[in-house]
Amino acid sequence: MQRVTGGVAVIPMLALLFIIAVLLAQAWPAILLNGGGFFTHTSFDLGNTYGAIVNTHGVRHPQGASYGVLGWALGTVESSAIALVLAVPVSVFAALAISERLPAYLGRVVGLFLGTLAGIPSVIIGLWGALTIGPLLAHRVYPLLAHLAPKVPVLSFFTGGTGNGQGLLTSGIVLGVMIIPIVASTTRDLVHSVPKLPKEGGEALGMTDWEVARRVTLRWVGPGIVGASVLGLARALGETMAVAMVSGVVLSGSPGSIFAPITTIAATIVTQLDSAFTDTSGFAVSSLAEAGLVLVLITLAVNVAGRLLVRRVASTALPVGRGV
Amino acid sequence: MTVTCSEHPASLQGRPAMRRKVADAAALAAGYVALAMIAVPTIWVVAGVLQRAVPGWSWGVLTHTGAAGAGGLENEILGSLVLTAGTLVLAGGVGVLAGIYLAEYATGPAGAVLRGASEVLAGIPSIVLGYVGYLALVVALHWSFSLAAGLVTLAVMTVPYVMKSTEVALRQVPSAYREGAEALGFSPLQALRRISLRTALPGIVTGILVALAISVGETAPLLYTAGFTSANPSAALVHRPIAFLTYAIWTFYNQPSKSAVQLSFDAALILLVIVLLLIVVGRVIVSLSERHAETR
Amino acid sequence: MSLSKRALAAVLVAAGIGLAACGSSSPPSGVGSTSATSGSATSASGSTVSAGSVPGTDLAPPSGTVNLSETGSTLLYPLFQAWAPAYHAAYPNVTITPQGTGSGTGISQAEAATIDVGASDAYLPPSAFTQYAGIENIPLAISAQQINYNVPGIHGHLKLSGQVIAKIYTGKITNWDDPAIKALNPGVSMPNLTIVPLHRSDGSGDTFIFTTYLTDSAPADWTAGFNTTVSWPSVAGALSAEGNGGMVTTCAKTRGCIAYIGISYHSQTQAAGLGEAMLQDKAGDFVLPDMATITSEAAGFIAKTPANESLSLVYGPAANGYPIINYEYAIVMTKQSSASTAQAIRAFLYWALDKAHGSAPRFLDAVHFQPLPPSVVALSDAQIAKIQ
Repeated sequence: MQRVTGGVAVIPMLALLFIIAVLLAQAWPAILLNGGGFFTHTSFDLGNTYGAIVNTHGVRHPQGASYGVLGWALGTVESSAIALVLAVPVSVFAALAISERLPAYLGRVVGLFLGTLAGIPSVIIGLWGALTIGPLLAHRVYPLLAHLAPKVPVLSFFTGGTGNGQGLLTSGIVLGVMIIPIVASTTRDLVHSVPKLPKEGGEALGMTDWEVARRVTLRWVGPGIVGASVLGLARALGETMAVAMVSGVVLSGSPGSIFAPITTIAATIVTQLDSAFTDTSGFAVSSLAEAGLVLVLITLAVNVAGRLLVRRVASTALPVGRGV
Repeated sequence: MTVTCSEHPASLQGRPAMRRKVADAAALAAGYVALAMIAVPTIWVVAGVLQRAVPGWSWGVLTHTGAAGAGGLENEILGSLVLTAGTLVLAGGVGVLAGIYLAEYATGPAGAVLRGASEVLAGIPSIVLGYVGYLALVVALHWSFSLAAGLVTLAVMTVPYVMKSTEVALRQVPSAYREGAEALGFSPLQALRRISLRTALPGIVTGILVALAISVGETAPLLYTAGFTSANPSAALVHRPIAFLTYAIWTFYNQPSKSAVQLSFDAALILLVIVLLLIVVGRVIVSLSERHAETR
Repeated sequence: MSLSKRALAAVLVAAGIGLAACGSSSPPSGVGSTSATSGSATSASGSTVSAGSVPGTDLAPPSGTVNLSETGSTLLYPLFQAWAPAYHAAYPNVTITPQGTGSGTGISQAEAATIDVGASDAYLPPSAFTQYAGIENIPLAISAQQINYNVPGIHGHLKLSGQVIAKIYTGKITNWDDPAIKALNPGVSMPNLTIVPLHRSDGSGDTFIFTTYLTDSAPADWTAGFNTTVSWPSVAGALSAEGNGGMVTTCAKTRGCIAYIGISYHSQTQAAGLGEAMLQDKAGDFVLPDMATITSEAAGFIAKTPANESLSLVYGPAANGYPIINYEYAIVMTKQSSASTAQAIRAFLYWALDKAHGSAPRFLDAVHFQPLPPSVVALSDAQIAKIQ
């Protein structure tokens, strides 16, 4: 039994090594040729694929091919950051309300909602984002927001044309909805793990419920909440379909306004892989692998950080990376 | 971890009672707003699908194949069920066995490495798995768009969940049970099979259900591994593409024809029903096992 | 079963020179993506002309069970989707599984031999022929691309030139009442409305031929090159959409929008109320895409079509020729895994090009494609004959 199960237990590790090996092998020509410029500019230019294939530093590529991941990476990080700004306060207040104020049965009802939201496939959330909430926000809310925002540096990011609802802010909002279940249920479990004694002590001191929550519970689980948020962030960074449906997938440049269309690394790969195949030198496919590698590294760093932080406080029952 | 309440209680009483009450009420209000922000999108998304799918719903979509935004969804439904059943076998088998190893035998750094690798695997974005699946399985191994390519990709994606839940469930089996089994003269293998696994079953099944829900709802990795076809699934593992529900949602939702959009939302509705069923089954199992544990 | 004249001719030629070796084809072995079993012969058609013995237009597929898989262009997909059941009805032992994925996927899978027939809106680049020995792009039909717009109050067809469209997509013309647009449309009162240029968010053969038109007709204004995805110049308010379907729905929802949409979506663009532009061709005429203008444009390229049929049909010199048309290609490797697969692919492609069968109006009209001119069919037939 030990031998059999042990043999099987290495499969996930082998799969991981295989994936990383394939990614690295695919990305290697791109890493060589794109160099550091890959990280400092934004470009998806297949080059003249109908001209001669040229050879630079031993890497074959069409003349004029140019790839830069900066804007896609910024789009990835910015949309995920907006998702966090939305999801974390909601999750924390919800978790506190569930554990400190609501009767147990209501807590279970909220748990049901969290489970359902976590289970809704991302392409269905994408439907809602692309056909319902995106257009609604673009017509009713964004113009107001853009009108209110002052035209001064930094804040002018919140002005500009509001488009048709495909863009950075809508992506962030949709991602926020998608990661609420992860952040909220992890936070709720953390809050539940706080021992009764210090809370009761706070109450004995005459603290209000909010004061107990703020001064006792939140201090107790603080690092854990950071960890839960980071797990949610990891999910948002790698999300593909919903973002491909609401971001606008604009490959060049980073947005000048929070309403402007963007792309993320994941959305770029899923929408451009077919185009990349038309480059017979393979350089486009290779460059997308390099972008994928960047995404994996960002997600990995965030995931590891999140797990370390969560583990320091409490061990959660299920892995909470991708959610359901 | 210790909590240091640095502020002296006197400082609490020093603050105006009114302000403290307002803060408390505001926090409560924020809590309710937060709960609404969880409930409203959930209801909105589900209701939105119902609202667009139900009025034009025809039971014929279940029994007719289709493509290009016309016909039915039989090929997609059967394809999704086949892919999900395959995930059950593949990810379920590998995940449970691996989980048993981690819980029962893996000690020290080896277990930590395997566990870490699996968690890293769970964090790999699904489109990256699709990319690797396309280049490695579809092209390099010459499997073409196929059931096998889609299945292996889904299994790689979901094994970590089954593995982790199996390990956790086995670890939560009280050691008294094992000791009791040992006292009864069970061999370690018998103890594992008849006591530990049986006790851990609800947790394991829940993990598998999570894996199934993930696999039935995935889109990105399947686009480049399973492909699509208007035909129902065949027995062929390779060389034959297989349809899946999320393809119909993603491909038809923005088409100008009403029938295509209807099919997209029909597919979304069917998918929601499948996912909600999996969630309900999971809940029932958990609550049954809790009740069972209480009466024991 | 009624054979076409071409097939009949082939049969006669074959019989005349005594090559009609009945039943000489050995039972094919199931290799690669084709599973072949002998014994389920359907008609005598297979025995009239022996398998693969005559380079001609043999319409008979092999007698065993054959599965052909097709993937690629989403523009060709509806046509394959109509062809597959019709062909299966004629030859029940042959099953064709079409998929609409994208031209790039069609090319890449044909190269990798993971698919029997790839489909592409774009012709293969020269580098493909050197890199993949034996790869062929075989035109099956002629498609065109409409330029559509959503400008309320404009009835009739706006006249546009490649130069004006290039300036719109580079942000140099931003309003529908721009003097350049007015100059092309004297007497039309153009509204003061911001132009929203729409482009594809996914890689697309439509983007390929559209940007080819811009490159050819307005080289000074369009420098982003031509490809299935290009670096779109940044234009304030520009939008993108997924697929031709997404282009139609997004344009219909967006006042001021301009979009490029495959002709196979013609009925949808009409139903959505989008305007359809008359485009300026090289001769200076303004034309709509219809049978006459597409045929006229294609005729100008017949003599130029090389033996490998890799050719852009955009912005040709023909008078009254619609300037954005293209061959829709099957991408096939000449070397197949088995003789029966090769025979099935040949037979199917001959059938597809036959005006009595696959290129009949009942198939092409639904997607607004035009059949190939006879001399181009002959070139395609010659390429098909090389598939072994």
